[in-house]
Amino acid sequence: MKRKLERRKSFIDWFINSNGATSVAVVFLGFLFGTILVAVVGKNPFNMFKAIFVSMVGQANNKGIWNFRYVGETLAYSIPYVLTGLTMAFACRVGLFNIGGEGQYVIGMTIAQMVALLVPAFPGLWVLCLVLAVIGGAIWGGIVGILKAKFQVSEVVATIMLNYVALYGSRLVSLQLPGATTYKTAALPSQAFLSKMIIPTSNLNISFIIMIGACLLYWFIMEKTKLGFGFRATGLNKDAARCSGINVVKNISLAMAISGAFSGLAGACVLLGGAFTSGRILAAQDNYGFMGIAVALVGNNTALGTFIAGILFGILKESQSLMQNMDIPKEITFIIQGLIVVFIALRSGLELVKQLREKQKVRKEVLAK
Amino acid sequence: MKKLFALLLIISVVFSAFAQGGKEAVASSKPTVRLLTDATGIDDDSFNAAAWRGIVEFYGESIDNTPSRGTLYDVVTAASADMYIPNLKNAADEGYDLIIVTGFTWADALGEVAPLYPDQNFMIVDVNWIIQPNVLNYIYGEEQGSYLVGVIAAEQAKADGIKNPKFGFIGGVPGATITKFEVGYVMGVLSVFPDATIVDYYANDWGKPELAKAQAKNWFDNGVYCIFSAAGGTGNGTIAQSKEYRMAGKNVWSIGVDSDQYTRGIYEGSKSSVLTSMLKLVENSTKDALGKIEAGTFREATAAAIEMVMADGGVGYSSANSDLNPAAKAAAEKAKADIISGKIVVYKTYKEALAAGAVPAGLSALDD
Repeated sequence: MKRKLERRKSFIDWFINSNGATSVAVVFLGFLFGTILVAVVGKNPFNMFKAIFVSMVGQANNKGIWNFRYVGETLAYSIPYVLTGLTMAFACRVGLFNIGGEGQYVIGMTIAQMVALLVPAFPGLWVLCLVLAVIGGAIWGGIVGILKAKFQVSEVVATIMLNYVALYGSRLVSLQLPGATTYKTAALPSQAFLSKMIIPTSNLNISFIIMIGACLLYWFIMEKTKLGFGFRATGLNKDAARCSGINVVKNISLAMAISGAFSGLAGACVLLGGAFTSGRILAAQDNYGFMGIAVALVGNNTALGTFIAGILFGILKESQSLMQNMDIPKEITFIIQGLIVVFIALRSGLELVKQLREKQKVRKEVLAK
Repeated sequence: MKKLFALLLIISVVFSAFAQGGKEAVASSKPTVRLLTDATGIDDDSFNAAAWRGIVEFYGESIDNTPSRGTLYDVVTAASADMYIPNLKNAADEGYDLIIVTGFTWADALGEVAPLYPDQNFMIVDVNWIIQPNVLNYIYGEEQGSYLVGVIAAEQAKADGIKNPKFGFIGGVPGATITKFEVGYVMGVLSVFPDATIVDYYANDWGKPELAKAQAKNWFDNGVYCIFSAAGGTGNGTIAQSKEYRMAGKNVWSIGVDSDQYTRGIYEGSKSSVLTSMLKLVENSTKDALGKIEAGTFREATAAAIEMVMADGGVGYSSANSDLNPAAKAAAEKAKADIISGKIVVYKTYKEALAAGAVPAGLSALDD
């Protein structure tokens, strides 16, 4: 009996101290409430899980052959989610709130289509598209970083404003591209597209590997380099960091630039990833940048967490079309995403519990003496 | 050990439940169909709504009561543009007798996906360049519907006893598509008042209602009786201005386009400033395509785009407005019969119409 109690106690300790476990619990709660909601409105929650399941492992087609294409689409959808998630996560670790993922994403996309249409096609054009998109995103984020570091302009306001500048600027520029109509440009050259891999029937392309590379790079910079140490120190306490000789101004500018680079890459990956055949004249925001905020929250700003959260959001996106087929409204996926973000607030609650328990422990020790 | 066994059992049960996959065979002989829409969904009061209505009516059901939804037909809305191709593939993999997409924004995606599924039948509306053996393209004879609303506008003016009425046309971006609307409308007006003054204006944009509103105000102030706008969102400005002026007691009208825009012009009770609307009856195309699937003649029809004209029920006019004069309605019905019988020929291009002397010179319509 006592042993069992002990074990339970250590489980609670582990749960409170593990960020990963909290995230998993929060996702579980989100799905639980989503399921209840589906049942309450009189639909069959089993169908919702079936759709989610199919987008994770595929299903047999009418000829009885297992079709993995659904998995490919899921992974392809998760690419921009992970990358924009890294944008938010990176800035957060440096104590900045980058709401501008959407704008940086749009800039990356616009630059990629400009390069694809204006540079004479050559094999490997896509590399140039991606590189310039990354640079574009970095500049768009970096501007805010410099404003914040040098002139104390709120990065939240600046990034939100620049989202609109990016959207309408993109329209202005893209309408001048060859073959531009009110909704698309001329077809992009074949050399600009990212080549498909593993499941060629789906949109899964090599940018998935690039995305994993971005996650590794994030982890390496943040956890393993002197630069990353400076970033984290700046994030934890800017003034203390400055007193310890860390160049805070440089760190903030650089961090916003790196943060923006991830979203710039996301924009290029979506455009060239097989979902489009011509350049886009954006009429509205794609919202990947904003979803990135949720991804980073769920992923607790770590590389691995963001990756997993991005895949989860990809699963939910692919399952939308499968759900509607079974009379489950696609909006349920947005509700689940929203619930997950709300429940993330649990983390702060657990923090309080942790403090309380530590206090009790200390009191007990003192009393024992 | 017991727990592990139970877990294994649960997993295997779940797997066997899912493993079936695919679409369960439906015993009925009716075809199965999926409608794919853009983010606006089937509540857009326009294309998507019309296509959906056609599907539902084909199965003998109504919008409010759709018992076969999920077995015979369903609809999937794409939340963003990068979902078009995956959603098309998802639908094709599930195997429907017909997959319907609406509007030219889907054209590129369909052009990519259709060759990958040669056994799957697709249909697209308002596009005539995805000519493939498994794709049916539908376009519309908008000039014929526009002729009718032109007749209605003129007859209404006649019934109101307006001396020397003037008529206006507001277009979006000039080009061959919108020229069909203008030529048809002008011919319709001139068939009643051969000497009527016609004014026209192109906003060069589909989404600037303020431009149309300013132009409509200017024209209404100068004695224009009725304005027909074929300009997408820009046209809402015309409706807004006519609504303001009718509220102020002025006798002016606007004419809606594509779907019945009667409700947009409502200013008091059931009174609307939208006299009538040029209707593009997308529902009849979806019914037509489903009928072809059922009859097994779908593939024979895909060699060229199908033009839905007045005789096919592809275009028409709305008589929702109770202020519509019975004489105007009667004249429209007569013109409709004459167009179907071929007695009235409505031109598609400004060049042809000009050569035939059917429209005045000096309009801003472009043929390319």
